[in-house]
Amino acid sequence: MTELLGRMIRKPQGAIGIVLLVVLGAICLLGPWLAPYGPEKMDFLGRFRAPGWQNLFGADQFGRDVLSRLLSGARATVPMALTATLAGSAMGAVIGVASAYLGGKTDELIMRTNDAVMAIPGLLMALLLVSTLGNGAGNAVVAIAIAFAPGMARVTRSVALAVRNQDFVKAAVARGEGAAQIILREMLPNVMGPIVIEATIRVSFAVMLFATLSFLGLGAQPPASEWGLMVADARQYMHRAPWILIAPSAAIALSAIAFNLVGDALRDALNPRDDR
Amino acid sequence: MTAALTITNYGLDYATAAGAVAVLRDISLEIAPGEVLGLVGESGSGKSSLAWALMRHLPANAREVSGALRLGDVDLQALGPKQLSTLRGRRIGMVFQDPSTALNPTLTIGRQITEALMRHRELNARAARDLAVELLGHVDLRNPAAILRRYPHEISGGEKQRVIIATAFGCRPDVILFDEPTTALDVITGARIIELFARLRAETGVAALYISHDLGMMTRVADRVAVIRHGRVVEQAKAFEIFRRPQHDYTRSLIAAVPRPERRLVHDRPGEAVLLEARGIDVHYGRAGLFHAAPPPATKAVDIDIRAGEIVGLVGESGSGKSSVARALTGLARFDGAIRFDGRTLHGAGDMSPAYRRDVQIVFQHPDSSLNPRHRIGEILSRPLKLYGGDVASVPRLLEQVRLPASYATRWPHQLSGGEKQRVAIARAFAARPRLVICDEITAPLDVSVQAQIIALLLRLRAETGAAYLFITHDLNLIRQIAHRIVVMRQGQLVDSRAVDAFGAEDVHPYTSELMAASPVPVS
Repeated sequence: MTELLGRMIRKPQGAIGIVLLVVLGAICLLGPWLAPYGPEKMDFLGRFRAPGWQNLFGADQFGRDVLSRLLSGARATVPMALTATLAGSAMGAVIGVASAYLGGKTDELIMRTNDAVMAIPGLLMALLLVSTLGNGAGNAVVAIAIAFAPGMARVTRSVALAVRNQDFVKAAVARGEGAAQIILREMLPNVMGPIVIEATIRVSFAVMLFATLSFLGLGAQPPASEWGLMVADARQYMHRAPWILIAPSAAIALSAIAFNLVGDALRDALNPRDDR
Repeated sequence: MTAALTITNYGLDYATAAGAVAVLRDISLEIAPGEVLGLVGESGSGKSSLAWALMRHLPANAREVSGALRLGDVDLQALGPKQLSTLRGRRIGMVFQDPSTALNPTLTIGRQITEALMRHRELNARAARDLAVELLGHVDLRNPAAILRRYPHEISGGEKQRVIIATAFGCRPDVILFDEPTTALDVITGARIIELFARLRAETGVAALYISHDLGMMTRVADRVAVIRHGRVVEQAKAFEIFRRPQHDYTRSLIAAVPRPERRLVHDRPGEAVLLEARGIDVHYGRAGLFHAAPPPATKAVDIDIRAGEIVGLVGESGSGKSSVARALTGLARFDGAIRFDGRTLHGAGDMSPAYRRDVQIVFQHPDSSLNPRHRIGEILSRPLKLYGGDVASVPRLLEQVRLPASYATRWPHQLSGGEKQRVAIARAFAARPRLVICDEITAPLDVSVQAQIIALLLRLRAETGAAYLFITHDLNLIRQIAHRIVVMRQGQLVDSRAVDAFGAEDVHPYTSELMAASPVPVS
């Protein structure tokens, strides 16, 4: 593990990504204690206060401190998005590799079903699932995971098809290995690169999807300081007080960049061929 | 008279993250007009780098550290991109190893030849086309006008190589570089390409640098041979001289490693009991769809018997179905027919019990792809032990069995050389304690000297374990050294099957004798 970390920080991009991610992790853990004010503490005189010494990132339409809301909102946003992406990617990866390995009619069946599910836009799919399962953060995670799985399955299958033709898979088949062993132990490690990259990009989508669900009243509910919800709320004051919009947007962008950089570094570090 | 090509004291480095790596050192070679110089070396010896240096197409991290390259009176290193593009093709041509990647798949053959002719011979389109027809006819291609209209995937590998040779000769260069032009081709096709080369050479008097790893072939194509090792020329002599009286130890070891059919390596007799009996094997790929019929089977009613401890050679060109037989026997391809093994009859992959899977092991051609790049060697070797019941602690013993240090267990496959990887693949097969090992062209991607070591290893393992081999190869000289019996396949059918000592007999199948004629027998 330390060896992997060492390889990841060898390049500046990896180091920056890891630093950003560590900061993000710290905020998720300690956010409420670091915040100068309570996230829901209103200040009637300080409505739309511009960034300054009183409110570092300014204040919103109720005079709530934006920085405090960001810090305490991190734990409502990042871990949820991460869990949803991981679950969706894992599900999609196993489906994709299995489909590529089994081949023939089974492959057709799995992939055509997959296409049918993919034809429904991710947001609609998530909406449908949340409205069936009921409101709540946990259900939103499940919905986003299921919405992500088909895209992941497609990406994975295309990589896995190339791996399927490699001799080491044939050797495993000739040896009489079981399907689970071949899919999980022989093939899956060799398709990890694209999965990791795709997954890290999708973390940022997941953040946005959460925001949208919150905006529509199906995820986090208004007083909460979920980042996406903050963006949605700030839209109408964009011209009057842009900082209310910019701060949470920048937080989302920075976490997306952090995940992307770490994803790239992870791909390089996981590939033993790059061991120079 | 000035030499056609002069290389003086040339040195080349590749800059890598770990510092400069010396690729070529003190290379001094001279090719007189009309002379063919053979350059022989194993992989990694720098022979292809020299060809690319002459074409002035080196990778960005190449650093020329010393020496001069002269084509006639032109200093190649001093040329700019514009002068180079008029020189390449026009005065110095090149024929590549793999004809399937040397032609642009999106252009017709005609476009590709006439483009070169119009550019270098300053012809108009009509004249270029006429010349192209004439040139293609001259390299023994039937119906040249039709070939001009085809795309590269519509003609065979041998035909593609003829097209490339016709283009190279058609521009009338002073020197042509041949980079292993027959390696990617079948034995018979390769032999015909060499005949063609000899004829065109006699007619045009072109000078050539002929690069190959095959010392045995050099006596047929080259006037003089230079042997290169680790980027240095170790010996240079007349082609016949170098075979009769090699001076350098390395040349001697290379010559000793060239397989010769008369030098048998196996002296025992196989057992009488039949181990595996395959009857009427038809291998099928793909199924009939709604709108198309199933493709014809890759093999037609192939019968093969293998006795206990016997080495059976399976010989044929690529596409003859020999690998399909291996796939059927290991349950990797769908087949009709029956396999009798150990008193049981199998009709498909579904019938193969764990005991059969264990008894019949396969080693693949390319060790790069047959070892999982994400597993360490120890893990690769412990899989069959876990699967078939064995002690995982015996991994060091397996490594020792194939003459690799026990410390290799913690390495990744990419940290090993091609020969070492193939040893690991062999160790994996023998971890199952098999009774039959199918070797599918396992020495084809390896250098001659490594090939000789792998063969020695296989024979020793056979002496220790008594395993039988089905040895699939296209190298007739090699298989005649080790096999008890040789089976010849052509277009999915078995055409000949005979004991190895009856191989020189009169009654061999005409195709077998054609194969033998095409296998270069080294001069001794």
